[in-house]
Amino acid sequence: MLKKNHIAILSVLLILGACGESPSTDSGVPAKTYRHAMDGAPDSLDPAQASSVYANQIVVNLYDTLYRYKYLARPYELQPNLAAAMPAISDDGLRLTIPIKKDVYFIDDPAFEGGVGREVTAGDFVYSIKRHFDPATRARGTWLWQNRIEGLDEWKANGSDYNQEVSGLRALDQHTLQITLTRPFPQLVHTLTQGFAGVVPREAVETYRLQLASHPVGSGPFKLLSRNSVRAVLERNTRFRSEPFSLQDEGYDPQERDTTGMEVLEGGIAPFVDRLEFEFITEDAARWNAFFAGEVHFIKVPVSQFDNVLSQRNPLTLSPQFQDVYQFEASPEAGFIYTNFNMADERIGYHPDPEQNRRNHALRCAMVKAFDWKKRNEIFFYDIGRVFPGILPPSVPEYNPEGDHSYIERDLTGAREFLLAAGWNGDNLPVLEYGFPNSVTERQIFEQFRNFMMDIGYPANKIRPMVFATYGDYQRAYSQGKVTLINSSWTMDYPDAENNMQLYYGPNAAPGSNSANYNNPEYDRLYVAGAALRESPERTQIYREMNQLLMDDCASFTGISRTLLFLWDRNVIMKPDRSFLGGYFMRFVDLKDLPPP
Amino acid sequence: MSRLPYVVRKLMYGIPLLLGVTFVSFLLMVYFGPDKTYELLGKNPTTEQINEVRHALGYDRPFLLRYSQYLKELATLDLGLSDSSGEPVSSILTRTLPVSLMLVLPGFVLGNVLGLAIGLLAAWYRGLWLDKLVISSSVVGMSVSFLIIIIGLQIMLCTPYGLNIFPVRGWQVHDLVSYLHHATVPTIALVLVTLGYNTRFYRAVMVDEIERDHIRTLQAFGASPVEQLFRHVLKNSLVPILTRIMFSVPFVLISGSLLLESYFGIPGIGLVTFDAITSGDQPILKAVVGLTGVLFVLALTINDMLYSVVDPQVTRS
Repeated sequence: MLKKNHIAILSVLLILGACGESPSTDSGVPAKTYRHAMDGAPDSLDPAQASSVYANQIVVNLYDTLYRYKYLARPYELQPNLAAAMPAISDDGLRLTIPIKKDVYFIDDPAFEGGVGREVTAGDFVYSIKRHFDPATRARGTWLWQNRIEGLDEWKANGSDYNQEVSGLRALDQHTLQITLTRPFPQLVHTLTQGFAGVVPREAVETYRLQLASHPVGSGPFKLLSRNSVRAVLERNTRFRSEPFSLQDEGYDPQERDTTGMEVLEGGIAPFVDRLEFEFITEDAARWNAFFAGEVHFIKVPVSQFDNVLSQRNPLTLSPQFQDVYQFEASPEAGFIYTNFNMADERIGYHPDPEQNRRNHALRCAMVKAFDWKKRNEIFFYDIGRVFPGILPPSVPEYNPEGDHSYIERDLTGAREFLLAAGWNGDNLPVLEYGFPNSVTERQIFEQFRNFMMDIGYPANKIRPMVFATYGDYQRAYSQGKVTLINSSWTMDYPDAENNMQLYYGPNAAPGSNSANYNNPEYDRLYVAGAALRESPERTQIYREMNQLLMDDCASFTGISRTLLFLWDRNVIMKPDRSFLGGYFMRFVDLKDLPPP
Repeated sequence: MSRLPYVVRKLMYGIPLLLGVTFVSFLLMVYFGPDKTYELLGKNPTTEQINEVRHALGYDRPFLLRYSQYLKELATLDLGLSDSSGEPVSSILTRTLPVSLMLVLPGFVLGNVLGLAIGLLAAWYRGLWLDKLVISSSVVGMSVSFLIIIIGLQIMLCTPYGLNIFPVRGWQVHDLVSYLHHATVPTIALVLVTLGYNTRFYRAVMVDEIERDHIRTLQAFGASPVEQLFRHVLKNSLVPILTRIMFSVPFVLISGSLLLESYFGIPGIGLVTFDAITSGDQPILKAVVGLTGVLFVLALTINDMLYSVVDPQVTRS
């Protein structure tokens, strides 16, 4: 029998074992804390594995990258971060020389000699990129630099020996880096803004190995205090370099942003808050309740609350009841949603017999014409998404608002004519598998799709759902060609249309990002020509041609960019971002001098 | 210590059970569980990279080799690293188990104690209006979704729409007050959702006991209701009651708190297990399956020991 004092001791132990941390600074003063709600949780905090939006938002606060985007400039503009300046680029565009800031230090950690963080050097960047080509890292950002940096792929082929040099990735001295490319890659600097390019110290990797994913050691503005399945707490890195905040350098437009009160930040030293708390709240109702109760400062508004939050859709207007309490922003998604045909499937895609190939093309085009983007937007995106033809969404300068939009207009008569002319009818139409990961919304989207197709006489039993337990299983299935209709979304990695165009580049076919297995030599030729160019009228022309080729081939139902609604406490000074700037904005978040929530 | 050989024998019986549970679970995990490969890959993976990840995850090794490795991990308690976060699985379990325990223990105890008390009362007044009220209320309680209870309580107790006196989510527990602050609403939710089931079960057990001859004999002797209920009815009903409680423990610990943890933002083992299932994080799943198996064996053994305490006939048999 347990005695009373045993029970008491057990209770105390349990409470201690289940304890969380309390928010105060070292001096005992309550910490200035910004609480940010996320609708998902990161799995890994290792930069090399920071593939999700959630991981990336946190990682860029823990680690330094060479470049970032200006906080307030839209369209996005690059800005040095750990780099001391923009790169010096050789005339042929193949060699970039990048100076790195001096006196930047990693946080203190037992991994370092004496437990004191040492200075960040160019060699650390070289090491960090090499890690992506070491199988032991389980890196997820390799594709950004694969076949692009001289000698890097060979380094991997030779066994990923860190003592071997890579000719295209060299530290010229402690603070100068040189990257040599195999071919022009104007988007390289964009890739250096991503969490994937976070600079890690070799000592930490060798000490923690795979556990670096939960034990970050960086030189970013914050360091990790604690993390579990529902939240991560970061505290200010007191050794972070002191750089005065400049509204002008960050692209501030007083006309546009006059409601945020950002002027008070001028000249201050980031980060402005002591603590960042990320709350991972996947359930919409719980997220909304937490925000409404004042437990978090920021929320991406769940679609289920749009009616509550908005008083009108055009223009998007916040309901009067919220206007005095919250700030609001509608942010277009950096990416789009689309449904690919598996062009490698002879039932619907390419066929060796030219006649059948022609019939398949007619069938695809008929289906594209039967698709009702207006209804898709209305039912699933609150009618505030942006529908556009092809893969050049309104967020890229190559988008042509004056162009032909017939690809996204429903035309049932035209669709039926296509079917009739190609000899298709309910009896000989092929059975198609429509894939999606298991969720209520995905199922609803499928049912709507099937309904659209039934309007042109496609029998319901010939468009079959293929449901997968996880997105990973779904991805495996379509990568192996087991899915005919692949519903998917693309989040752009950098604000450059090249990132979208590579989605249909032949050599990127499955298991690569070209899940449609689209294979058009002319498209590929144009891609190669355009990839070497920077944004210019010439490149715009090329990309628009490619976009048209894709639509002429009816390879995909595309597309729509969602509009995200952000709501945040009026006492928080910030401009939130969930796309390219991502988590970088958090170092500039400040709270007015009011009690914490 | 005459019970020691009995306990050892019972625990030995648990070994084949554990082997069976782990084998079947591992088989399901390997052949029907989610494949983590593609979640660990970048956007444009090559076949070579896919193979590298599969190799790193051990997917390319023979099944029996993997299973024997799993048994070795369980035996040595070296449970490896999470495929997702890279954190040692043992650290995850050490961190999350106490949280789940603290979260569900009050609700579990209260739900059972209240269920017993109400069940006893309803059984005593069986057929009367009080009994009917208890039965119908239990049915209502059983019919309302756990999710609705959670969201409803959150709105009523945690937001400005209602009383706004408890936090919607979080687990910043430093002392008893902060513990009560964070655990009260989840506990109420747990009690509400389990009370209906418990009450109906306990009522049925008690009614069965009350209608036995020896209780009628007691009544004929003029025993008081309290004596009848607590000295005889309750005591004689302890075998099914203990069985229900003991076998609930592993479920309550591992999976019972999932919704609570998810909606109240509590970092317990239920949420970790759910994430591991949906993402295919096999090292965590393997550990949880093993842990659940061990808990069941322990529950079974303790249960058998308790039987002999509450009913001497069990030992004799």
